[in-house]
Amino acid sequence: MRHVFVALLVLLVALPFFWMAYAAFLPPEIVYSGDLLSGFGVTLDNFARLAPEGFWFRLGFSLLVSFVVALLQVFTGLLAAYALWNGAPLWGVFLFTLAIPVELLMVPLFGVLFQLHLLDTPWALVLPFAASPFTVMLIYQGMRGLPYALVEAARIDGAGERRILFGIVAPVLYPALVAAGVLAFAAHWNLVLFPRVAVGERFWTLQVWIADLTRRYPADWGLLSAAALLSTLPLVLVYLLFERKIVETFEGSVKG
Amino acid sequence: MRLQPLKIWSLALPALGFLAVFFFYPFVEVLRFSTWKWSGLSAPSFVGLKNYQELLSDPLFWQSVAATLEFALLVLPGFLILAFLTAFAIEGQRYERWVKGLLFLPGLVTVGAAATAWYTLLAPEYGALAAFVPIPAWDQEPFWAMVIVVAFTLWRYLGYGVLVVSAHLKAIPQELIEAAKVDGASPGQVTRFVVLPLLKPAALFLLVVGSVLALQSYVAVFLLTRGGPFGATRVLGYFIYELGFENFRLGYAAAVTVVLLVFTLLVAWAQGRLLEER
Repeated sequence: MRHVFVALLVLLVALPFFWMAYAAFLPPEIVYSGDLLSGFGVTLDNFARLAPEGFWFRLGFSLLVSFVVALLQVFTGLLAAYALWNGAPLWGVFLFTLAIPVELLMVPLFGVLFQLHLLDTPWALVLPFAASPFTVMLIYQGMRGLPYALVEAARIDGAGERRILFGIVAPVLYPALVAAGVLAFAAHWNLVLFPRVAVGERFWTLQVWIADLTRRYPADWGLLSAAALLSTLPLVLVYLLFERKIVETFEGSVKG
Repeated sequence: MRLQPLKIWSLALPALGFLAVFFFYPFVEVLRFSTWKWSGLSAPSFVGLKNYQELLSDPLFWQSVAATLEFALLVLPGFLILAFLTAFAIEGQRYERWVKGLLFLPGLVTVGAAATAWYTLLAPEYGALAAFVPIPAWDQEPFWAMVIVVAFTLWRYLGYGVLVVSAHLKAIPQELIEAAKVDGASPGQVTRFVVLPLLKPAALFLLVVGSVLALQSYVAVFLLTRGGPFGATRVLGYFIYELGFENFRLGYAAAVTVVLLVFTLLVAWAQGRLLEER
């Protein structure tokens, strides 16, 4: 009984992934015939057609922007978490910001970016996400698991705070930092509405571009699925690489 | 040996600085914007509380409030029930880790790509599944449009819920369960009277996270239904986007944002109290 339930659930959850991978190789004739069983074929045409639509530039641009954001978030998060660990009374501040995601503040953020003359620049995609309470929390939870004596011993030995943080604490905390980085990357990678609003078409991220592609070619499943598959692949690869660390860090952080 | 306060604060400065400029400042500015008539292109003009007045008599706003509540009432029970059932079902099984890894994946993959897969798979009439099973016309029927948005949201976040329940489940000391069994409790009674009460914190935590999430979830709406049909899935988050950036009424959109913020903070506060009392 429980096996049936799990099997059914796994099937339902995985179905869109299988479909995406399958449809990406479907020849257009089969799609347009409207009958998926009318024939079987495998083609790479769909991938070839992505290049003229500007797919590769978007992919590179999105990877770069999200990577920079993830690095910044882990950096600011590590410092802030260290401050919390040393007794800075800021827990409430981060908890408060945690309840309200940046995307909800889209309208005022648009106004602020306008005042700062950042609209329609790549900075609009980076700076608002340079610090995230969620990343701070994840790193702090990992840090709390370390013995504070580690820090005290190093201080007595005369090590500076920078040495302690980057030379001692960060290496031990490496798994949590990686997990936080991957999650930060994914969260930024998955912003859809904000980039659409904050920047013009030339700085659109891959997400916005795909949403737009779906609007322009609603019936061209092969093309859409090829774009979907290739844009998902980097994230899935990174996830599979660090899956254990991510799930464990996450589980650790919700145990409370 | 603790650090001096000044040094501590300086460490938190980068994070606090960015949050101050891109979170707290907009958070305050939204109040000012909400008293403006502003298209985003031309110069704004001050209109006082007119936006709020209009909001109260705007049928689209009230429809949007209703849609948001409907969405939350469908998503939350589904989220909790599925997360608990799944966590119980996979607990201790050989495939547990594997299933958890898979369930977590939809939340991480490119959301636009995921929506594309759903769309081509489930589109009524010409979607890939429509040839095999009858797919309700969710592009025309309000109820089914909401169902598809809810299903997509559950699909994306279920893994998170399962992780939370599972982490709490593992924290229950085995001795408690053994003791109950020794006292003659059936497996069903153990679950009902020992395990479930101990999982109350997990349920509360998910309820808090889930309702904040449900109040703000509109990406699925944007990608799948665009608020339609007839505004049935136009949740508040999407309503704000539409007002501000498709109808270019940023002042009015700011007023709706203020209402949603107040609402979110009230819910978060009430639930924070709930969590503390546990």
